[in-house]
Amino acid sequence: MVEQAIIADKLTYSYNNLLAVDHISFHVAKGEILGFLGPNGAGKTTSVKMLTGQLKPKDGKAILLGLDVAENIERVQSEIGVCFEETNLYQRMSAVENLNLFARLFNVKSFNAYSLLARVGLSGREKDRVENYSKGMKQRLMVARSLVSKPQILFLDEPTAGLDPTSSEAIRNIILEERKRGATIFLTTHDMMEADKLSDRVAFMNQGKILALDKPLNLKQKYGKRALKAKVASNKGSLEIREINLDTPQTAEEIQKLFHNEKVVTIHSEEATLEDIFIKITGRGLTE
Amino acid sequence: MNFGVIRALVAKDFTLFFRNRFYALITILGIITYLVIYFVMPSLVNEELEIGLYAPIIPPVFELIQQEEGLEFHEYNSDQNLRQAITDRVHEAGVVLPEDIMEQLASGQTPPVTLYFSIDAPDEIKDIVETMVKEMAYLQTGQFLAIDISAEILGPDLLGDQIPIRDRMRLMLVIMLIMFEMMGLASLISEEVEQGTIRALLVTPMSVRDLFTAKLIMGASLAFIQGALFMTIVGGLNIQPSIILIGLLLGSIMFTGTGFLIASLAKDMLTSMGWGITAILIYAIPAFGVMFPGTVTDWARFIPTYYLTNIIHQVSNLNAGWSEIWLDLLILMVFNILLVWGGIMAIGRKLR
Repeated sequence: MVEQAIIADKLTYSYNNLLAVDHISFHVAKGEILGFLGPNGAGKTTSVKMLTGQLKPKDGKAILLGLDVAENIERVQSEIGVCFEETNLYQRMSAVENLNLFARLFNVKSFNAYSLLARVGLSGREKDRVENYSKGMKQRLMVARSLVSKPQILFLDEPTAGLDPTSSEAIRNIILEERKRGATIFLTTHDMMEADKLSDRVAFMNQGKILALDKPLNLKQKYGKRALKAKVASNKGSLEIREINLDTPQTAEEIQKLFHNEKVVTIHSEEATLEDIFIKITGRGLTE
Repeated sequence: MNFGVIRALVAKDFTLFFRNRFYALITILGIITYLVIYFVMPSLVNEELEIGLYAPIIPPVFELIQQEEGLEFHEYNSDQNLRQAITDRVHEAGVVLPEDIMEQLASGQTPPVTLYFSIDAPDEIKDIVETMVKEMAYLQTGQFLAIDISAEILGPDLLGDQIPIRDRMRLMLVIMLIMFEMMGLASLISEEVEQGTIRALLVTPMSVRDLFTAKLIMGASLAFIQGALFMTIVGGLNIQPSIILIGLLLGSIMFTGTGFLIASLAKDMLTSMGWGITAILIYAIPAFGVMFPGTVTDWARFIPTYYLTNIIHQVSNLNAGWSEIWLDLLILMVFNILLVWGGIMAIGRKLR
């Protein structure tokens, strides 16, 4: 039987009369990466706050590593690492001081800040004050801070938002390394490509509800269409586009006809992206 | 309670506090400035009252009055010269006696005596001089008042042992010094909320109780160390040091509680300072009452610093002991509990 690292059981939260999270239920297996996707205001951050013990659910339960978060908050928090979307580092302290502080808060006995900083590519700048770091460096330090206690569950909220490709790639590699170590990763992101690339499963959240939760491939098969797109040369000398749906009984016949009757210049397959599927399911884009 | 966690948080807060250039500077300059102010203030009180006198014939009774403690007459050779001296504020008061004063007194007449006062002579001086002249007339004629006047001194008799202005001011200086730390602490907390670092702390195994304990230790110790250092240097711990230190510690806790309340209202360093200055102005009122006796009425008892002020003033300036100030200590403790509890509740609410 698969061991579950995270179980959300009808989690509910409302701010005054506004229902932010509406009885959501899901689970994340140990060692799995779950991509948690949704537009701003969908209820993602509130869900993460309930799962990490920052908010007490109005209804339902959050269970992490078999422990009810509300009743075992300190035990649960000693096993999780959280990387926030907004930079919340101590700016007047150095990277080493920031990490050492959190190592002491987590009661980590033998902690080497320098090796962790080297892992996130901050060697040579360890003793600089954080206020002198670039956005990418700060984000890498945020990720490093969430790893101080070698957590069993890692909550990452938009870890690559606004970063250059090199910094983003460095963080993605760290996420994969952590999964290899055995950590469960709860990844909140706007970046569908990133979610597709890293996540074992993705959840689509909108208006406080989870509308879909599955492997990216299954979602694409269920909600998207696969097609062949070909550019053919017309009699007038210009290029025209032909599209063939790959999921119909006539597919093979149509492909044969294409190559027999037309002068094919280029041809490639096309599948739906997670973003297409998200729009199809929710009726809105992630940035709306 | 996890002492390792508390120690780490306190160390972090001290680091952040002293790396904020403004508060680091205020802390260091504050103590230096207040010490300088204290030491440049006069350390002695001149209890002699100097009075100018123009009298062509000085009645013998003046010799007697001059022997009284605290009165010193400076004779002038003309009314004009005496008027000039008073106008120039060489003396605060002057007395002109008529040439035939002895004859007039002997014949039972009322001799005209002119008194001069400088423009800023306080009412007490006017009363003293008028009383002295009447006393002189009675002594000279041998007709004493037909009543038996008895005087009683309430409280410690400070005749010859007046409190120098700098020792009255010492109280104000030490309270101002530790009150500034209240703003520093409030700013530090509101900065944690504003920058979101508090959220990072709240997802660690650290408990909220550890967090507030650390803030309380940091705020109170910073204020207490400064207050104790200042009082040591200015000689404020020469009498009953244990009471003064306990008073300072309670005061530091009180200001820390107030710092929590300010932090719950403030959004950043600027608003922390705004609320902090408002609190300082209110909290300083009882100390003004010590510097300028009679300016503060009973309503000041509703201000928590009244009891801190009273403890330090009574002990360091008036040699009071435990029996005189135990009630003030008790009330101060009650205020501390209310302020710290209220502050923690208010910040907790803000965090939620």
